[in-house]
Amino acid sequence: MNFVIIFIVTAILQFFTPWWTVALIPFVIAAWRPTTSLKSFATGFLAIALLWFLYGLYLHISSQGSMSNKIAEIFSLPNGILLLIVTAIVGGLVGGLSGLSGYFARKATA
Amino acid sequence: MKFVKAVLSVIVAIGLVYALNRPWGKVPALGSFLSPFTGFWQNGEKLADPGAEIELKLDSLKDEVTIRFDDTGVPHIFAKNDFDLFYAQGYITAKDRLWQMDVQTRAASGRLSEVLGPATFELDQRSRRLGMAYGAEVNIKIALSDPKSREALLGYTAGVNAYINQLSPKDYPVEFKLLSYKPEPWKPINTMYMLEQMTLTLAGRSNNLNMSNILKKYGSEVVNDLFPDYPMFQESPIIPAGTPWNFTPVAIPENKPGNTKDTVLTNEYPKEEPKPEGIGSNNWAVGPGKSKTGYPILANDPHLELTLPSIWYQVQLHSPDMNVYGVSLPGIPSVIIGFNQNIAWGVTNVDADVFDQYKITFKDTTQNSYWFDNQWKPTRKREEVIYIKGQSEPFRENVTYTHHGPITAYTDDSNGTINLATRWIGHEPGNSFLTFYDLNRAKNYDDYRSALAKYVGPAQNFVFADNGKNIAITVNGKLPLKRKEQGKFLLDGTNPDDDWKGWIPAAQNPFVKNPPRGFVSSANQSSTDQTYPYYINWIFAPSERAIRINERLEKMTAANADSLRMLQNDNFNVLARTVLPKLLSILQTTPLSATYKAAQQVLTDWNYQNSPDAIAPSIFEEWMPALKSAVWDDEFDSPKAPMAYPSRDRLVYMILKQPNEKWFNNIKTPQTETLTDVTVSSFKTAVDTLIARHGAMSPSWQWSEVKNTEIRHLSRSLKAFNAPHLKLGGGSGIVNAITKRNGPSWRMVVELGPTPKAYGIYPGGQSGNPGSPYYLNLLDKWEKGELNELIYLSSPDQKNQHLTSRVILKKK
Repeated sequence: MNFVIIFIVTAILQFFTPWWTVALIPFVIAAWRPTTSLKSFATGFLAIALLWFLYGLYLHISSQGSMSNKIAEIFSLPNGILLLIVTAIVGGLVGGLSGLSGYFARKATA
Repeated sequence: MKFVKAVLSVIVAIGLVYALNRPWGKVPALGSFLSPFTGFWQNGEKLADPGAEIELKLDSLKDEVTIRFDDTGVPHIFAKNDFDLFYAQGYITAKDRLWQMDVQTRAASGRLSEVLGPATFELDQRSRRLGMAYGAEVNIKIALSDPKSREALLGYTAGVNAYINQLSPKDYPVEFKLLSYKPEPWKPINTMYMLEQMTLTLAGRSNNLNMSNILKKYGSEVVNDLFPDYPMFQESPIIPAGTPWNFTPVAIPENKPGNTKDTVLTNEYPKEEPKPEGIGSNNWAVGPGKSKTGYPILANDPHLELTLPSIWYQVQLHSPDMNVYGVSLPGIPSVIIGFNQNIAWGVTNVDADVFDQYKITFKDTTQNSYWFDNQWKPTRKREEVIYIKGQSEPFRENVTYTHHGPITAYTDDSNGTINLATRWIGHEPGNSFLTFYDLNRAKNYDDYRSALAKYVGPAQNFVFADNGKNIAITVNGKLPLKRKEQGKFLLDGTNPDDDWKGWIPAAQNPFVKNPPRGFVSSANQSSTDQTYPYYINWIFAPSERAIRINERLEKMTAANADSLRMLQNDNFNVLARTVLPKLLSILQTTPLSATYKAAQQVLTDWNYQNSPDAIAPSIFEEWMPALKSAVWDDEFDSPKAPMAYPSRDRLVYMILKQPNEKWFNNIKTPQTETLTDVTVSSFKTAVDTLIARHGAMSPSWQWSEVKNTEIRHLSRSLKAFNAPHLKLGGGSGIVNAITKRNGPSWRMVVELGPTPKAYGIYPGGQSGNPGSPYYLNLLDKWEKGELNELIYLSSPDQKNQHLTSRVILKKK
């Protein structure tokens, strides 16, 4: 459930807020709703990673990789899909750490 | 413990966000850059929906504007007044080329370091010391005081800003994201910066220091012999030789021999870059007698550095009193090269001597006064402030201005510091924009001539044709009235005799209308034969392109657009035809090993075509610079006091007519070398170089591979945005003037007639976005030497199978 909330709320907010919103939502959700440390990290990670991956994949495919493949080259990666995976991991790490922080914040104040 | 864990994890999370939210060296802030919601993912584009109709409500428009796009991405703009027309041009150009507009303006105004850091500091400093901003400020005052240019500049500015204002960071062109900065509001003066930049590219250097060094070292006899004021071997001037000058010249300053002879300059900084061969252009027009249609046909291909996005942007501009199509320069309202219902025009560079340096004597190190005309004259100071990314304090420098122009100091071991003032056409007040504004709506020859009279610089050969069946060409620009060779060498800043003495009257600039030979043409060669009463320059681009163009136009009959297109793609090597038989006959007399024999055989069998798959041009083009070095390096290569080299024409003359000249001897060896020796040794050097770079002779020696033309992204560093490998012939001195980095940046052919029929192409595409399908969509055809038919509409609702989407701009 936390996963779904993070995914949807972040997806909506991302359209008109800065990128670091992905660090706020998992924190707030994990601080608000009961969870475990591992789950809070995994949920934040997966929700953000999947969100970035899916939207990135849509943009990659609809433009036939015209930009992503070139940026991949600049970052010395073989193609845009690999860059997409990197993107998802970076987003996921931020989401995961933020979720974990939310969990610990809840514990500290409980 | 719980509390520690919470604090620690929050710190780690915030640390990660912080690290991802700021740039690290060349790496942009990765958080926003990688996020699909804000980052580069947003910059991938799809093909435009051909049926789309978009309505935009925008500020400060006066009336409705309709923009039709065609399938190559060219906007056709229909407006009801000038303001709206240029507003829409600004809006649409910014949409496709915003980063290009930003970076080119920064380059011209010396503000690159603000966003790129210390790497571009020297470049910025050079622009500042040259007074680029000073020139732009002088010109914007004039432009804003004229109602027409004011309306155009204000409209264009409002349009660019309307586009910028509705952007959110996710919409920024990807280069902004990569370099971590954002577009700033457009200002009318930016257009002047762009014009300054063109002046710098085309008329922003001189070899007078290098020439002074030669004068000092070898004396005037050698200078006169090796650096003559007109080609010795062959020339085919722009204004056909023998054309009468139907005017009474104004008094020309007297010729005096006194040149500054007392300086040898190390020329350490800023080092003058010689103008690369390949920055030039071709244009021509054939009259009705030579065309199949009975109307003139005009062609132009300006040669510049080939970049992505292209320096040019195609546009059609339609208003109640005008309907013009052609290429514009992003940042400048109106069309620069193009055609309308009645006329067509194009430009090539003149190479006039409009950049002179004067040696200045200051009273003291404050540089507050300088010696001129037997008295101390006060200077002016202009503070230049250069902000540098990553440095808290800007760099400040007071540039001293004399009446000649701004001062640059050159430091030299033997002479200490020498202060040189630059007198440059880029500082001359004027309103060159009006020339293009007027040409855009010109109806006939008289309109063309009066438009040209308003032009300051960089001087251009304006070719012209109209549907009244006239053709013409004018060597045009504000040309200083000088004595012969004034500015061939360093000038004396204390002596009023060395000042520019006014201008050649515009009406007396060289021109020809409907010449008996039935065509006009230019390829940056000498403007006139030696009977023209005024001095324009002592050296122009080598004559080979002009000779070839004129040869072919001479023979041309019943021409159509395709005949001219084929001439634009002509790969014939005039230099090889001129000099190779002689050089090969010398090689014949020498025993050569098998490797060299094979190369010699390839050259012997050559048809003088610089075709992409031929091997002979690779050998020849390697050999000629080697030969030049073998002949001249011993006398003219000097790191202490850089010197110009004698021209190609002079060397050819020596090879063919003066084979026993002492210059063939290498003074650095004890024995005496002859023409035969340098010919053989340079030939071997050339073949050895090719072997070292490309292995034994094989298809890897093909000309297109050896030349390896590159079209780089404007950043010059983001290789992923460069064009793919291209298979191209041509070369420097070839009509199809594609070198490694320079070449035909736009090819256009216009058949005049009751309605014009025009064709054009440039290497790249309308969009500056590397993620757009319109980034490289024109490249294949350009590479093949083909042209697109240019869609010239008379109304926004005209039916044409190439038309796609429609954008309507409405007043908010």
